[in-house]
Amino acid sequence: MSQHIGAPAEPIVAKKDSVSVGQEIGSAQGFVSAPVHSPVNGIVKDIALQSHPVFGRAAAIIIAVDSEDKPQVVTADKYGNDFNPQQYSAEQICQAIRKAGIVGMGGAGFPTSVKLKANPDSPIETIIINGCECEPFITCDYRMMLEWTQQIMAGALLAGRALDCGNIYIAIEDNKPAAAEAFRLAIEKTPAAAGTKVALAETKYPQGGERQLIQAVTGIDVPVGGIPPMVGVLVANVATTAAIADAVVLNAPLIYRVVTVAGGGIEKCGNFYVPIGTPVQELIDFCGGLKSDAQKVLLGGPMMGFAIGDLSVPITKTCGAITVLTEKEIGNAKSTGRQTPCIRCGRCLDVCPINLNPTRIAHAAEHQMFDVAESYHMTACIECGCCSYVCPANIEISGHIKTGKIMVARQKKRMP
Amino acid sequence: MNQNLEISPSPHISKRHSTASVMLDVIIGLLPAIIAAGLFFRARAAIVIGVCVLSCVVSEWLCNVIRKKPNSLGDFSAVVTGIILAFSVPPLLPWWACVIGSAFAIIIGKMVFGGLGANIFNPAMVGRCFLVACFGMLMATWTVPADVRLGDVQIIAAKTQATPLAMSKEAIKAKGTEEKNAALVNKLFKNMFIGSVGGCLGETSSLALLLGGAYMLIRRTISWIIPVAVLLGAFVFASLGWLINPDVYIQPWIHLTGGGLLIGAFFIATDPVTAPLTKRGMWIFGLGIGGLTMLIRMVGEYPEGVMFAVLLMNSATPLIDRFTKRVPVGGVK
Repeated sequence: MSQHIGAPAEPIVAKKDSVSVGQEIGSAQGFVSAPVHSPVNGIVKDIALQSHPVFGRAAAIIIAVDSEDKPQVVTADKYGNDFNPQQYSAEQICQAIRKAGIVGMGGAGFPTSVKLKANPDSPIETIIINGCECEPFITCDYRMMLEWTQQIMAGALLAGRALDCGNIYIAIEDNKPAAAEAFRLAIEKTPAAAGTKVALAETKYPQGGERQLIQAVTGIDVPVGGIPPMVGVLVANVATTAAIADAVVLNAPLIYRVVTVAGGGIEKCGNFYVPIGTPVQELIDFCGGLKSDAQKVLLGGPMMGFAIGDLSVPITKTCGAITVLTEKEIGNAKSTGRQTPCIRCGRCLDVCPINLNPTRIAHAAEHQMFDVAESYHMTACIECGCCSYVCPANIEISGHIKTGKIMVARQKKRMP
Repeated sequence: MNQNLEISPSPHISKRHSTASVMLDVIIGLLPAIIAAGLFFRARAAIVIGVCVLSCVVSEWLCNVIRKKPNSLGDFSAVVTGIILAFSVPPLLPWWACVIGSAFAIIIGKMVFGGLGANIFNPAMVGRCFLVACFGMLMATWTVPADVRLGDVQIIAAKTQATPLAMSKEAIKAKGTEEKNAALVNKLFKNMFIGSVGGCLGETSSLALLLGGAYMLIRRTISWIIPVAVLLGAFVFASLGWLINPDVYIQPWIHLTGGGLLIGAFFIATDPVTAPLTKRGMWIFGLGIGGLTMLIRMVGEYPEGVMFAVLLMNSATPLIDRFTKRVPVGGVK
């Protein structure tokens, strides 16, 4: 029920109820929230706390699948180049998106209907469709861009229609020329896509971070503590954009997503169209299981993903990848005391995309000196992990900063 | 159910290097100068470098044993300190003085602060400073490498002889009279570039130091800012003096190749522990070292000033870091 930022959805089915594909089973609570739908036909086995990748435990509805009644899954591009977004009103689009339970599928999980609600006080002037999945291993967005080009185009145009904004960029990293070409062709052939452009971005990590992408495409810096709409920009992931099209045109709820399974620790790698809610274990079994030297299973990529110990956690709307790393791939990045003292070499300062002083912040946060950490702008950190990656002393800089941010957030809540 | 899955904060991959590999890069960068020292000073080079490195390593090991701390020799920082200290003493320095200097460098310069990463001053410079204070005569007795012609005079092997910078100082003190003239030093440029002049063990050969510095820059072991800032600061000051009175003050490029300026710029000032973290801070730090070095060389009592300049700027590093805080992308509210 907690697959998004905001209030968790509330279960609206009971134990032993029978549910069908696409049926709403959790209803949105409040404006910043999203409903949850059943991806399968089956019987509700239980409503209970389940392992959750981020929150530890969260309410979940467990459905026993009725195996005889397999749903028909269409994975081909369902959209043509004659698509016209003008047949839908902004209101219709927003409502369809909210009903479909769409959230930011790049990882943030912010309810998309909230983002697409036009705000007359701060109009959106630029929409960026984020096709820069910059983490190593992950290719789900790339496959979608190649195979569902028209669907993503349709979603992008609908987002533009909802916000009355014709200035749309499809941002693609320059190591994916095939995807860029596909979009160039699609734009050429689609009459409604006149204001749409392909923006090639340099291939680097973390290019797909919202702030980095806005910088790369428009040259605008989002203020620290601010959000993109403040500078008139909206960023949406390609998977989210594709889901928007399905929701508005086909009235289809968000019950499937593309997940990359990759890494040296799994038998068979690939991109899979997975029902949301599938336990990670089942997906791994489907891919031939873990190899004997698998050491870490990550939800997400190796730079920002969550390491999980319990494989019964479900694939959520925001989970674009399962990465299984071997000991060899992990290398130095082990949590087992290989840390040496900071020699102030400054490599973390060089790589920080936000221009922070990671070693100072981490040192202060580690020693609970949060006021010092804050004076170095700890909360501006986007948690990309570059500092930890590059540290020769193997210090978990990013880990210390993340802990510090959580502690400060808690303190602030206690003392308003 | 699967066995032992590891859990830790992201990121889960890491660049394959370590503090030890960074220090090894520095040692490789120092190799050309070690070879040059061996060529010019023969056995003395081996003895001084060997004794310094060994004493540094033993001192660090002893400190760890006494403090009941884990062995930290694996990071090779003691070896680097030993080589740099050896490079900055005269080749004729007796072995026992090398031991004292090394022990002081490691124990007082580094370990009392808590070991690598916690020291305020460059350990090698702390050791050298102690030697200058205790054994001033020994630290100012120079040999000229074997079979070198100085002007038209054939120098006998390993004869004691003033360094080019000491000669420059004399010229300054004598206000550029006939026999004590800056022009005399200016003739030595080629020798100073190759390294066949009197001076500290590792600092005479500009060529070797530039080679090593280039290696470290290519490997990105050091930032380019500090060496450039040091040399720029020194060049500007030295040019001022030279433009004012070329009879008294030697040419600026002679200053750059002379004494410890190059080893200071590439190997001493770039010690990350004692240098600022921010780019703006590095500029201030480097320009300060270059400027102070020239101030001491041209106005002060000593012919050479790199050591004091580095130590002075080391002490300013925390302040520099504080005044050059970085502004996050997007500005601050």
